[in-house]
Amino acid sequence: MAATTEHPRSVISVEGLRMAYGSKEVLRNVSFTLGEGEVVALLGPNGAGKTTTIEILEGFRARSAGEVSVLGSDPITADERWRGRIGVVLQSWRDHARWRVRELLAQFGRYYAPYSEADRPRPYPVDELLALVGLTEVAGQRVRSLSGGQRRRLDVAIGIVGRPELLFLDEPTVGFDPVARRDFHDVIHRLADLEGTSILLTTHDLSEAERLADRILILNGGEIVANGSAEQLARDAAGTTEVRWTRAGHRHVHSTADGTAFARDLFTQYGDEIADLEIRRSSLEDTYLAMVTAGLSTEPSLEQPTIEQTENAR
Amino acid sequence: MNTLGTPIRAGLQRGAIEFRNSLQNPADLGYYVVGNIIFVIVILLNRNEMIDEIGMSVPRMIFPGVLAMILVFVAAYGLATVIATEREDGTLLRAKSLPGGMTGYVWGQIARTSLELAFSLGILIVAGTVLIAGLWEGGILSVASVLALSLIGLLACVPIGFVLGSVFKNPRSLGGWGFIVLGGLIWISGLFMPLIAMPEWVQALGQVFPLYWLGLGMRAAMLPDSAVAIELAGDWRVVETFAVLGVWAVVGLLLAPVLLRRMARRESGSAVEARRHAVMQKVG
Repeated sequence: MAATTEHPRSVISVEGLRMAYGSKEVLRNVSFTLGEGEVVALLGPNGAGKTTTIEILEGFRARSAGEVSVLGSDPITADERWRGRIGVVLQSWRDHARWRVRELLAQFGRYYAPYSEADRPRPYPVDELLALVGLTEVAGQRVRSLSGGQRRRLDVAIGIVGRPELLFLDEPTVGFDPVARRDFHDVIHRLADLEGTSILLTTHDLSEAERLADRILILNGGEIVANGSAEQLARDAAGTTEVRWTRAGHRHVHSTADGTAFARDLFTQYGDEIADLEIRRSSLEDTYLAMVTAGLSTEPSLEQPTIEQTENAR
Repeated sequence: MNTLGTPIRAGLQRGAIEFRNSLQNPADLGYYVVGNIIFVIVILLNRNEMIDEIGMSVPRMIFPGVLAMILVFVAAYGLATVIATEREDGTLLRAKSLPGGMTGYVWGQIARTSLELAFSLGILIVAGTVLIAGLWEGGILSVASVLALSLIGLLACVPIGFVLGSVFKNPRSLGGWGFIVLGGLIWISGLFMPLIAMPEWVQALGQVFPLYWLGLGMRAAMLPDSAVAIELAGDWRVVETFAVLGVWAVVGLLLAPVLLRRMARRESGSAVEARRHAVMQKVG
């Protein structure tokens, strides 16, 4: 990030976003921002409204209420120039099965040429892009012959062929094997670090969010229930580090804000008597589960809108 | 850089690639081969059948109607089916995610449909020329008229294809109801049995749709003047033909962009997902 100011320019700003399908409220009051060059992960259980949120920001869905600004425009009224500055990787595709990989990327790249800028030449050169996502060897193959992971990497390549300033990724690594997942993470790091691309991604995978994102938003029951770095969230939720030890044959467990200081005191006091010491900071997973189950107990989780509701909402 | 020219050119390239992909696809090729084999067999079986009133062979009499039928089948019905299918598989949504992508998509469909139509009509005309004696008696004027009618037919049918493709929710309803409607349309348009032999209400209904006029126009272009005896009003009605087809083209060109925009506005990932879910539930 090349941000010299404390608050880099907002690429996304959402204030009081509400979305209802008929009488069913999927988003109640969602507010957050995403700064230039920032990578933010949107976490949440199924039906929390992640996809709805991202579709509203992509301009694919009209919201019920609230202020939304993406790259300085309202997505629902934004023009083709705006469209040329963002990249979209949706949840699942099965289109263009008959096309060959290189040809498809070249065809999609053409649309971005009028929106090329000196510091962001558009489109991305196809062969470089193929190498970046590791599809060089299958460049001449038809899309339908690709494996699931290759297909998904093609989706990512199509999402970035316009060298976007802002990239949306909805569940990008579903169905990836560990190697494909690591390669994908490398691609995201490259985009964020070298190209300065701002990224908003949704995921179910906590370790992925932790590894990729500067900041994590947890969406539950139609609201943002947590917002911060993985470490901040872990501290905020449980607020503690768990220390376990045995002394004189007895097991002890203690929760404290500062595990290191506690352990030091422990040794000062008891020295060699301490055995089996374990210090474990609460993980993002603990935080996530704590927040989502807290949400569940007070607020029944919202279901994904049914087909009928989706149709009615249009 | 041109923000309108670029998506149109990209769309034309898109259409050309899709047409080539179709020719490289065994299922699509099989469809062309089988369709044309059936056509050749029908002609061969009927080559000596004569229509005594006008002293002409049956194949020669119905060939113009076959051209009109193929035109409507490819440019309206086929296009509509492709659009409904591509809404379902996410192609349209993909187009929507590109700058100028919808413009490119529409031009791509226009290009693909035109190429497919030229190819289908081309094969038929070659086969017809070889198999049917006296087909081009009218000389260069006949050829020019067939070309002109194909063009205005394309102009009238493509918007209808866009409209139907954006109105029908999925390709299966188009495949079912659409096919029945198309069959009925062929029947009331007098392509294979002169409309003059039909009840008056069928005649009235048939003359509303472009298929009748395309058939009439093709006959006017390819048949000798003696054949006009079994036409309604005993006249080729050339001016009316172009007028009716022109009206369909204008109405379609006005309606199609509105419906396409409405359809595109409604596309989202979850809409595509919901439709896929519905399909899987029906199948499963």
